[in-house]
Amino acid sequence: MNGARKTGISRRAFVTRSAAAIGAVATGAESWTVRPAMAAGDPVKIGIATDVTGFLGFAGVADANVARLAVDRLNAAGGLNGRPVELYIEDTASDESAAVAAARKLIGQDKVDVVIGGILSSTRNAMKDIIVGRGKGLYIYPQLYEGGECTPYVYCTGPTPAQQCDPLIPWLIENGGKRFALPAANFLWPRKLNEYARKKIEEHGGEVVFEEYHTPDQIEFGATVSRIMAEKADVVFNTISPPGVSTFFKQLHQAGFNTNGGRLCCAYYDENTLGLNQPEEIEGLATCLDYFRAVSDEDPVSAGIQQAYDAAFPGGALMSAGSAATGVYRGVMLWAEAVKVAGTTERDAVAAALDTARIEESPGGAAAMIPGTRHCAMPMYIAEARAGAYEIRARSDAALAPGECG
Amino acid sequence: MVVSQILFEIVSYSAVMLLIVVGLAIVVNMMGIFNFAHGEFVLTGAYVHWVMVGQGISPVLAILAAPVAVGLLGAGLEMTVVRWFYRAPVAAMFGTYAVGQIVREAIRWATGGVYHSVPEPLTGTVALLGASMPVWRLVIIACAVSMVVASLLVLNRTHVGLRARAALENPLLARASGMSTSRIYTATFALSAALAGLAGALIVPIYSLSGDLGLRFLIQSFLAVLLGGADLIAGAMAGAGVVGALNTTMPWVVSPAFAEILLVVIALTIIRTKPAGLVNRGVN
Repeated sequence: MNGARKTGISRRAFVTRSAAAIGAVATGAESWTVRPAMAAGDPVKIGIATDVTGFLGFAGVADANVARLAVDRLNAAGGLNGRPVELYIEDTASDESAAVAAARKLIGQDKVDVVIGGILSSTRNAMKDIIVGRGKGLYIYPQLYEGGECTPYVYCTGPTPAQQCDPLIPWLIENGGKRFALPAANFLWPRKLNEYARKKIEEHGGEVVFEEYHTPDQIEFGATVSRIMAEKADVVFNTISPPGVSTFFKQLHQAGFNTNGGRLCCAYYDENTLGLNQPEEIEGLATCLDYFRAVSDEDPVSAGIQQAYDAAFPGGALMSAGSAATGVYRGVMLWAEAVKVAGTTERDAVAAALDTARIEESPGGAAAMIPGTRHCAMPMYIAEARAGAYEIRARSDAALAPGECG
Repeated sequence: MVVSQILFEIVSYSAVMLLIVVGLAIVVNMMGIFNFAHGEFVLTGAYVHWVMVGQGISPVLAILAAPVAVGLLGAGLEMTVVRWFYRAPVAAMFGTYAVGQIVREAIRWATGGVYHSVPEPLTGTVALLGASMPVWRLVIIACAVSMVVASLLVLNRTHVGLRARAALENPLLARASGMSTSRIYTATFALSAALAGLAGALIVPIYSLSGDLGLRFLIQSFLAVLLGGADLIAGAMAGAGVVGALNTTMPWVVSPAFAEILLVVIALTIIRTKPAGLVNRGVN
């Protein structure tokens, strides 16, 4: 007896129909509006479009929270040009079509003066034309990314490959070795980041002995690990994405990479991703970002923001650099500075002021837009995972230039 | 040396697939239900393990408790939701997918939407025949083998097994002979869920816990079941073996991004040429 006769459908029909079943995942987006207590004046409106739900929810919730915190601070300081600041939050649900709907609603219905958000580059690309093209608005993209976003009226407040790799690669060569393996996820950011990293590795006398691209749902990494071990790589510069990365790091650890003095590195790793592995499996993992929690031990401004965040949103999503939360904070505050200087929320006046905007207070330190590039210079930190927490190992002397669109 | 390592990885991943697939094969072949919530039963088992270990309970107890908890969940779902879909297998796919999504999002919420690592109850690696074998993966292989032996004994040597085989080979005649198919169906679905729960609790230390844990295995497990065919144990073993071997060896030959696609292409080609599965006794 075979399965087809019992079930009434053939195996072949099952294959085609199950594809439809998987495609039928409906996601519903939600919206929130945060109105300030102060009543006077026409409000200034900030729109946040981020992934509050779905697989990026842990990051999107932090992004929305940090925007609430920044807007509260603006209102507590008297608003912008005497006007209260209103916050409109739309859920992009880790999904491009939800992102399009969210951007349309913020621009068309809520008529916000600026849209901040998007975590994946695909989300940015889905939303940017709606906001700055047809919508005639301003868009701020807060996440670390592959670079190359030079569209007018689109501003980037997260680290670029130059900001991450310029300090990190020489540090890795000094504190790891010259033979680099680049296991990567097969999408745009890892490819562009690796392109830049390879250039830096070769500039500093290192070599790339392994480079390979994986699909997001790969489960086992035995072949990858064996080949990295066979190549005797000193440094694994990883961009394989979660959840596969946890198995990859575990298999690498079990193959003896770390105990034989190998250096792990992962450019997107922050406090959120530490939980993917047991501490000993990623001991010594290095990463380079614009903020770590450990920075707040040495910088009172960062400490103030971190404490205010923890008090307002206890036990929830962490304010971390890899989830774009610090980029959202910089985005809100840089835009607010520009509105103050321009004295209006009119697009071209704000854009002109934003081109040279600078803020002294943000997580990690002062940040400034580099004129003509719509990208942001900021201090960068190299941290190493030790017993399940990051310790700062190096910091840039001054704000690092993004090296984009110049 | 490389060959023994690859062989170990084939066996290791096939054991993982087998643990997951046996429960799914039972429901697909005995009940005609393509259970899209199966991955979430695996996830729930992993979740139970994580919660209990987090409370300071021994991982052995957690691994034993997981199948009980997930089996009860399965029984509850069969009695409230799944049994209304037996006459409509396509609707059952959507129905079980919806159930799976509810479970998945509930666990995503309960875990804070982030990834959690569960420590391996036994750490360390064994070097044997030039291959490095993590101890916990050896435990998983041992569990998969024990499960196969236990299942064969139950199916072939016990009264329950006889009834199960009867219901599998001719449900109409079984019902006509006075067997309560509704009770058998509840028990079968619960057993399948319990096996998935056990699989989840066993494998979570080598992966990590997140809402999407089960979803990652869903497509490959269905491929394994379809490849295997209607023989419960031999079919599941053949299917899991093929999927495990393809999955482990192809990244050595082609780029990993292409390997995933190739796996599905090869599996579908086999299904196309042998629509009844690799192992099919040709009863009826």
